[in-house]
Amino acid sequence: MSFPTPNPLREGIANRLAPEPCTLVIFGATGDLTHRKLIPALYNLAAEGSLPPAVTIIGFARREKTTEEFRAELKASTVRFSRTPVNDGLWESFAGSIFYHRSAFDEAEGYDSLAREMREHDLRRGTGGNRLYYLAVAPDQFPVILGQLNRSGLGAKTGEAWSRVIVEKPFGTDFKTSHALNELVSDVFPERDTFRIDHFLGKETAQNIMVMRFANSIFESLWNSNHISHVQITAAEPLGVEGRAGYYDKSGAMRDMVQNHLLQLLTLTAMEPPTSLGADAIRDEKVKVLRSIRPLRGDDVFRHVVRAQYGPGLIDGKPVVGYRDEQGVAKDSTTETYVALQVNIDNWRWAGVPFFIRTAKRMPKGGTEIAVTFKSVPQVLFNQSGQILDENVLVIRIQPDEGVSLRMSAKMPGSALRIEPVKMDFHYGTSFGKATPEAYERLLLDAMSGDATLFARRDEVEEAWRFVDGIEEAWKTRNDDLTFHDAGSWGPVAAAELAGRHGVTWRRM
Amino acid sequence: MTAPAGIPVPIGAIEKELGRLWEASGEGKTRASLINLAIYSQERDSLARNSEVIRGIAGEHAMRALLIEANPSAPQSNAEAWITMNCYVRGNKGGEVCSEQISFRLEGEAARALQSVVFSHLDSDLPLVLWWQSDFPPPTDGRLWRWVDRLIFDSRQWEDPRGQFGIISGISSITESRIVLCDLNWARSLPVRQSLAGIFDTPCILPQLSSIRTLHLDHAPGHRTTALLLVGWLADRLDWVLKEAGTAFLFRDSSGKTLKVTFGEAEGASISRMILESEHCRFQILREPGSDVYVTTAEGGEIAPASRMVRARREETSETLLAELSRGGRHPLYLRAIGIAQSMIDPVP
Repeated sequence: MSFPTPNPLREGIANRLAPEPCTLVIFGATGDLTHRKLIPALYNLAAEGSLPPAVTIIGFARREKTTEEFRAELKASTVRFSRTPVNDGLWESFAGSIFYHRSAFDEAEGYDSLAREMREHDLRRGTGGNRLYYLAVAPDQFPVILGQLNRSGLGAKTGEAWSRVIVEKPFGTDFKTSHALNELVSDVFPERDTFRIDHFLGKETAQNIMVMRFANSIFESLWNSNHISHVQITAAEPLGVEGRAGYYDKSGAMRDMVQNHLLQLLTLTAMEPPTSLGADAIRDEKVKVLRSIRPLRGDDVFRHVVRAQYGPGLIDGKPVVGYRDEQGVAKDSTTETYVALQVNIDNWRWAGVPFFIRTAKRMPKGGTEIAVTFKSVPQVLFNQSGQILDENVLVIRIQPDEGVSLRMSAKMPGSALRIEPVKMDFHYGTSFGKATPEAYERLLLDAMSGDATLFARRDEVEEAWRFVDGIEEAWKTRNDDLTFHDAGSWGPVAAAELAGRHGVTWRRM
Repeated sequence: MTAPAGIPVPIGAIEKELGRLWEASGEGKTRASLINLAIYSQERDSLARNSEVIRGIAGEHAMRALLIEANPSAPQSNAEAWITMNCYVRGNKGGEVCSEQISFRLEGEAARALQSVVFSHLDSDLPLVLWWQSDFPPPTDGRLWRWVDRLIFDSRQWEDPRGQFGIISGISSITESRIVLCDLNWARSLPVRQSLAGIFDTPCILPQLSSIRTLHLDHAPGHRTTALLLVGWLADRLDWVLKEAGTAFLFRDSSGKTLKVTFGEAEGASISRMILESEHCRFQILREPGSDVYVTTAEGGEIAPASRMVRARREETSETLLAELSRGGRHPLYLRAIGIAQSMIDPVP
């Protein structure tokens, strides 16, 4: 049914692979993710003409409703969450491609009727037999949905048409569950058709890490243990659990943030130059970094990792409760809301360079950044003045206020030799006033084009879990390392001591 | 003659006076610049008009703007300059981001010495984007163009498009294609090209492209070259060869069949309607007067009738320029499109 010939009119129009017509089936279509992110992203893509007109969206969910009701609900949420104002005419045009399919996830007939509906769309709308299934549901629903897709033959590709699946994080809760989930997915979809979304990778600044490193000769030649003393990766947020206590108390900061977002940033920072910009070439290099991370097990965990929980305190001058007093959290919960760890990457490039990672809730301010600290100059020229020179620090700010800054030393004007740190600062928002597209827009287009570069590969996910499992296992043996810090503070003393053992101070953000 | 925006300064003291301007502007302002945008015009009072354009775009694309109003045929050489800043509030913290603007009024010999008078005030190391608002002189001297990273122009405004397209091709050769050519007239047609490509993204419609028999375009008065460029692009993409030019144009497609191209004039968008007909199907892109969307339709034969809307850009020059600056990159098909457009302007013997 599909015609492989490329559209000759596409050449030179956009500097990317063209997305192909397909039917996008969203499981969990009445959920938050669909309303807040997926449909607003698809609307903007359609409005800009980036979505092939044949793309058909089918919302698959349990609740009883008509397609018209579904479209009306989606319009209301798109008006609320879209990054551009919703134009009624454009919405009506886009909404014509949205359909609702009511079925329980375990109802075989629901999948059989879905197959019939999709075949009709193939004929009527020209979707070419291509299928993209988006699992926007809790992971405990994956087995039943994937099982039904397998049973009904919907996961199988037919002829030239493709069949792909998008899986939302969390990709399991440990190596074992992740492996089992991957096995389950791979029973239905081969790895090349499996797209694991970590929306962090869709952010412009995350994509810019590679550009900065590999398109600028001044950085790459210094990007190694000869010149870099240490790296700090921080993801801080002032928010508490905000109604996610049920999920968060089982997960904790290590599983919620470190296993995915922060290890992804670490791999982008530490990877070798890939042989090409192809998805597998890049992901091969990222996996090599994960495999080079020195595992933490047993007592090593307590020497290299600090976990803590926030107690009551002040955020923006207003009192907030401690974690154990949050609604839905057990009074004796030992779930970490703060984690700081020191990671070693055992390869030639990074031998002896500690990577410090920290993430926490209820920090005084929010922000995600990578700070690369360079080694000090030899203290021979300027030591007579008794001055200690600050090291050069290159900071890549992922969010908010995306940008790059470089701290250097400069002479203060005057007859005395006084050296002060100065900062060269590039802010995306200052130079580029235009709002950047949402990460989901980019990622959905990539999945429709078959470009998996910004999606996590199975071995990446499993290697990351292997590392995190060692820490989680050690934590299960004792709780006495869990410390507490006031909400609105920068974390426990133990974290400062962890960095201090390497002569490092955590950055003030 | 209207006085341009800003403070009059001696040419030799521009950088020093810009420094003073910054000192006097107070705290909380950030200087930002991604490019040098020089705008060259030989129109009287163009400085005021181009200041308006800069005010419309500098907030989204930080730059050092250099506006030039030139009268090279004036008998006496004269050069005057003015400086100002364009500031915009960014984010919710209320900080102001400012871009510098230097305006030049050049006459006689000074107007022929852009490299020395104007380009000595570039923000070094940033790309130079030159927007040439006049007809291009014959390319006798390539030195000027070798300074330029991106050359912007608008072929819609040319009185002799055939000759000017020739000069553009010449500039591309002189600079060994290093210069990026950006015709705003080409940029203006991007949403139409995008919408048309969108129709044929559908695999079962794609084969229809090889059997197009007629093409009709409605363009706004004064937008003939926009339409010609569009046809040039389509002809290049679909291997059409021009056989006959006149009121209607006859092309031969790759299978040897003839297809007919016609134009009409209609008030509204630069391209308000485009209709392609194959043996069995009809495809249309329509922008109603005053509408901010294109409606595309595909119908006929065995294809399922399909219609959709795509957001259309406003066609103000500043909007087109901003989109072009944000898009970046080269236009690999442009030179090929103008080759065909040129042959349509000059009837085949």
